[in-house]
Amino acid sequence: MKCFKSIITALLLAAISAPATAQTSKPAEVDLGIFTFTSGPGAAYGVPGRNAADVVISQINASGGIGGVPVKPIYVDEGQGTNAVVAEFRKLASDSNNQVMIAALSSANCLALAPVAEQLQLPTFMWNCDTHQLFLKDKYKYVYRTNSSTVPEFVADALYLLAVKPNVKTVAIINPDYAFGRDAGLIFKQTLKALKPDVEVVAELYPKLGSPSFNTEISRLVAAKPDVIFSNFWGADLENFVRQAAPRELFTSSQVILALGESVLQSAGTLLPDGVIIGVIGDGWWKSSTAQANPQTKAFIEDYRKRFNEYPVFPSFKMANTLYTVKAVYDKALATNKGRWPTRDELVAAAKGIKVDTLTGTLALREDNDGLVDQIVGVTQKSSSYPFPIMGKMVRYPADLVTPPVGTDPIAWISKLTPTMVANAPKPGSYK
Amino acid sequence: MFTNYVPVIVDGLVDAALIFFVAVGLTLVFSVARVLNVAHGSFYALGAYLSVVIGMWLTGHGWVVASLAALLLSPILIAVALGPLIERTLLRWTYGRPEALQILVTFGLFLVLEDMQKLIFGVQPYSQDTAVQLFGISHISGIVYLNYQLLLIVLAILVAIGLRLMLKRTRIGKLIAAVVADQEMAQTIGIDVRRIFVLAFTLGVFLAALGGALASPMIGVAPGLGAEAIVLAFAVAAIGGLGQIEGAALAAVLVGLARASAIYWAPELQPVVPYLVMVAVLLVRPYGLFGSIGLRRI
Repeated sequence: MKCFKSIITALLLAAISAPATAQTSKPAEVDLGIFTFTSGPGAAYGVPGRNAADVVISQINASGGIGGVPVKPIYVDEGQGTNAVVAEFRKLASDSNNQVMIAALSSANCLALAPVAEQLQLPTFMWNCDTHQLFLKDKYKYVYRTNSSTVPEFVADALYLLAVKPNVKTVAIINPDYAFGRDAGLIFKQTLKALKPDVEVVAELYPKLGSPSFNTEISRLVAAKPDVIFSNFWGADLENFVRQAAPRELFTSSQVILALGESVLQSAGTLLPDGVIIGVIGDGWWKSSTAQANPQTKAFIEDYRKRFNEYPVFPSFKMANTLYTVKAVYDKALATNKGRWPTRDELVAAAKGIKVDTLTGTLALREDNDGLVDQIVGVTQKSSSYPFPIMGKMVRYPADLVTPPVGTDPIAWISKLTPTMVANAPKPGSYK
Repeated sequence: MFTNYVPVIVDGLVDAALIFFVAVGLTLVFSVARVLNVAHGSFYALGAYLSVVIGMWLTGHGWVVASLAALLLSPILIAVALGPLIERTLLRWTYGRPEALQILVTFGLFLVLEDMQKLIFGVQPYSQDTAVQLFGISHISGIVYLNYQLLLIVLAILVAIGLRLMLKRTRIGKLIAAVVADQEMAQTIGIDVRRIFVLAFTLGVFLAALGGALASPMIGVAPGLGAEAIVLAFAVAAIGGLGQIEGAALAAVLVGLARASAIYWAPELQPVVPYLVMVAVLLVRPYGLFGSIGLRRI
């Protein structure tokens, strides 16, 4: 009896611990679980991401798919809440054709999914996960970020500000009240403190994410009379803020930095005067010289515009670049295996240290699984070619310059930056 | 430290005006039908959506000034279409039932209306700021305000006075007051109480939708608007005393000023300030500023 119990226990343990879906034969299709917001305020970024996935997957399939196998996206709406997102992730993980997951847009969902991906031994590529906390404490084998983090994104904004406005004395901050907004406020303040210690923060506002009105906050900002206003509002919040602040002359009374501003240029950009500092949080600017010099990128932009009647915004490129990275990982694993279909572990091994030519530059996955991506920052500039402003006086900050090295605490790294960094960084207008 | 109080007062009053429209409708329905209508916030959101859609259509056809009519047309349409329908088909079954049942029914209605909004209008935010552009700007204490914001304060005062006059001076207002005072006695002397319920509920829907419509030129209209409005409206109605129009007005001013003050001097407190005011008032006056036990008055 004791022996029987031991056998049963061993069988159960084996069943639990063995990856349930370790596929090695070539599948009929490559299923890709893609997590993004298709409902709620997050859809303002999630839908451009999904649109980009549709375009890229069509293009990949038109050119033979991955290793000759067509790709089939399975979209999951992050708007249903983190618990439901985790449940969907677990469900998709049991699909033997689904060897790779692309998740997620929300930092909260990324942080919830990363340990689950690790537990399920499922290669997962975080396509729009900005929080620098993702790899801060935990080390992952199966989780990669095909994106930059909040630290390089907002350090780049501070560098640009000090290049165009070296005598800045006072700064105000208005960000959404959750981790992304609070982290950005901290990173931006710490960077300014390191690069220009005499800058004073005169107002710090964190209105609720998804707030329909910022009118009182706008009054407060104008009353504070800061030299500079920094905001990392995004999606519907960003559009609301621009629409409410522009008629009240906020963009002319202070130098405003919209860290994610590129995403509203087409929808509300006409309300912005020239000279508002605009970020891309990455390198996904569709009109950059790098993008325009790449025939594949031009084809993507044209296809996207034809299908959705707008140009792709930076979340579109984050998704597109992630998909091309996943394809590159598959191609590398297939080459290593000499054509044999890779297992999940072989895919993870292929992702380690890979450097991919993306639609807008390059993406390198470091030894800590974090992504290295350049940062483009510029200012709004009226265009004679488009009915909305474009980015001018751009800088492309190299990823190595603005990203903390592997193994360093990001905030401690920021505090060690010195004012010479501004002098040594590329100058506004250096990137066309 | 910010020491100019004028902008705080202006911002607080603008905020108060928008809160008042929703809270006064909620309190009116409660005073007549004794129902706490959780779905009230949905009428606010529907007013905003319909106003934006009609405004966009009119602006798109070149009728820019006419698009202002959408601000009044949309609450009328919503009140006429939904007020009698919901009152007769759903709300009437909750009269005299336990409050828990009333809240469950109206909460169910709230969820249905929220999903209907997503089905009809989608999940992307809408903006229609023609009214803001048409009315221009003013400088107050060195801060640029939209004249439309200042107009909202005037409109809220006019609505408060209009409601009071309607209830005191008109026949229908006196009938509503009679039903509020004693429903059975009103029925005994020949007042059609069912009709008064429909009228009062429809007026409540109109006021909520009017609040949404008037807010729409200054805000992004997106899913979730209704929930935001109803939570605040409940706090304001509780502070003022449920069923009290003057109470709703004073409470809206208190909450508006408190929220603006928090944004200027203690931004961390801004999300909780309305509820801190509510707790403080209810500790001293458990039935709200104008409420009282036993006496029913509007």
